[in-house]
Amino acid sequence: MNDLHWMTVEEATQAIAARKLSPVELMKALLERIGRLDPKLNTFIRLDGDAAMDAAMAAEAEIASGHQRGALHGVPVGIKDIIDVGGLPTTCHSKLLVDNVASADAVCVSRLRGAGAIVLGKLSTHEFAIGGPSFDLPWPPARNPWNTDHHPGGSSSGSGSGLAAGLFPMALGSDTGGSVRNPASACGIVGLKPTYGLVSRRGVFPLSFTLDHVGPMTRTVADNALMLEIIAGHDPLDPGSVAASAGHYETKLERGVRGLRIGYIRHFHEEDMPADAEVTAALEHVASTLQKLGAGIRDVRLPILGEFAAVNRVILQSEAWAIHGQWLRERPEDYGQLARRRLMSGAFLSAGDYVQAGRRRLEMISAVEAALREVDILLCASAMDPPSRIDDPAAVERTYPRQARTPFNVTGHPALAMMSGLSSSGLPLSVQFVGHNFAEATLFQVAREWERAAGTDNSHPRLV
Amino acid sequence: MDKNTVELLARRAGLDKALAQFSDDVAAAAKQASDAVAKIKVPVDPRAEPWPPMRVGTGL
Repeated sequence: MNDLHWMTVEEATQAIAARKLSPVELMKALLERIGRLDPKLNTFIRLDGDAAMDAAMAAEAEIASGHQRGALHGVPVGIKDIIDVGGLPTTCHSKLLVDNVASADAVCVSRLRGAGAIVLGKLSTHEFAIGGPSFDLPWPPARNPWNTDHHPGGSSSGSGSGLAAGLFPMALGSDTGGSVRNPASACGIVGLKPTYGLVSRRGVFPLSFTLDHVGPMTRTVADNALMLEIIAGHDPLDPGSVAASAGHYETKLERGVRGLRIGYIRHFHEEDMPADAEVTAALEHVASTLQKLGAGIRDVRLPILGEFAAVNRVILQSEAWAIHGQWLRERPEDYGQLARRRLMSGAFLSAGDYVQAGRRRLEMISAVEAALREVDILLCASAMDPPSRIDDPAAVERTYPRQARTPFNVTGHPALAMMSGLSSSGLPLSVQFVGHNFAEATLFQVAREWERAAGTDNSHPRLV
Repeated sequence: MDKNTVELLARRAGLDKALAQFSDDVAAAAKQASDAVAKIKVPVDPRAEPWPPMRVGTGL
């Protein structure tokens, strides 16, 4: 079998179940590729190759004896290193937690393992999932496989980089201000921030309690739906978890978009934060393609992007200060500069600032709900620029806030980012779809139709 | 936020060590905070509630 590294989760599970592919064969191919490419990409903080190979051999034996553990049996997964994997350190890419060995799997990891997935290792992030690509941490930042001089987005950087490079077919990320969707956008893969409360956060190092989400990252929309099917579900020990019915995310994948009503939030990228011309052209192409395929497109207005970002920032930094205050007082030198600057901001916010941001948050939720009463789904920009160079701090600083992802951390609505095309310099451009709460199936339906029309699932970087 | 206010707030928050070693970072953090607060339109209705609301816990 050729190109095992580009196999989707769906293809791998089918081939493994039909005994046309051995989990050991798949694992060997991926470990060989990781060994060759990871030194250029810095995707992994810790590769757990021996344990992964042992698990692949165990899976092979189980499948040979007729025991199918679950929908992901024998398929490797990468885990962002703020998410606990029992027996491995959860470093959060920080000097502060170098020896922080997790005693148990996070709930999302446990669910994946329960379905038969094999943990490959822990993946690069921004320090504590905030800041940006930093060169003053114990591990280097991940790089973009489309051009290793460029930033892969973050904070789930290793997840995006490794998927785009064909190092694994699925990964877990987390998203507090866009950290699943940013690397999905920069690396040309599919990243979902589910509805707040749909996926348990237990066992995930917090950044901001009321904004944190765990999300699936994959190379295809169908794989994303499959992964969500496994990790979604109520967790009574996560205070934010919602006891909503979860599941059936693949049911509408191939239904097309005929008759669906799509609200296009143009003002985000045309007025509030004028986007790069290629980004705008690609968004117009997505909208017109979906219209030709039978969707109705209408313009929608929400509060301005800059205010969404401000509300996100005040809430995030207030909550993060509650988590990091003690360390920032005692060990400020152990943080990288970017995280230190972001996390100390909470010291300069008052209780009143935090509550006022929460009051405005409710108005913003109402605004998005009102818009969604008129349409089935929203379409908008994700990143306003192609990925910047990673070695240009000024470019990273300029482009990082130029995005439209934070609104949906503030409101909790599900949002999916994926490739909209390639820039003239060969870097991924992106689009974002936003849905009704707990209507991820409709998000996947629209995203799948765009993927099918544009062939984004077959677009990979050329790596040696 | 002027320099004296930044220092006062930093010391009140216990950031003396950061202030001594990373004064530029402390100043940048304070600026980020005040810039964000300035962009928020505070609700005019005094009855406007924050989100998320208090809810009674079950099963915790």
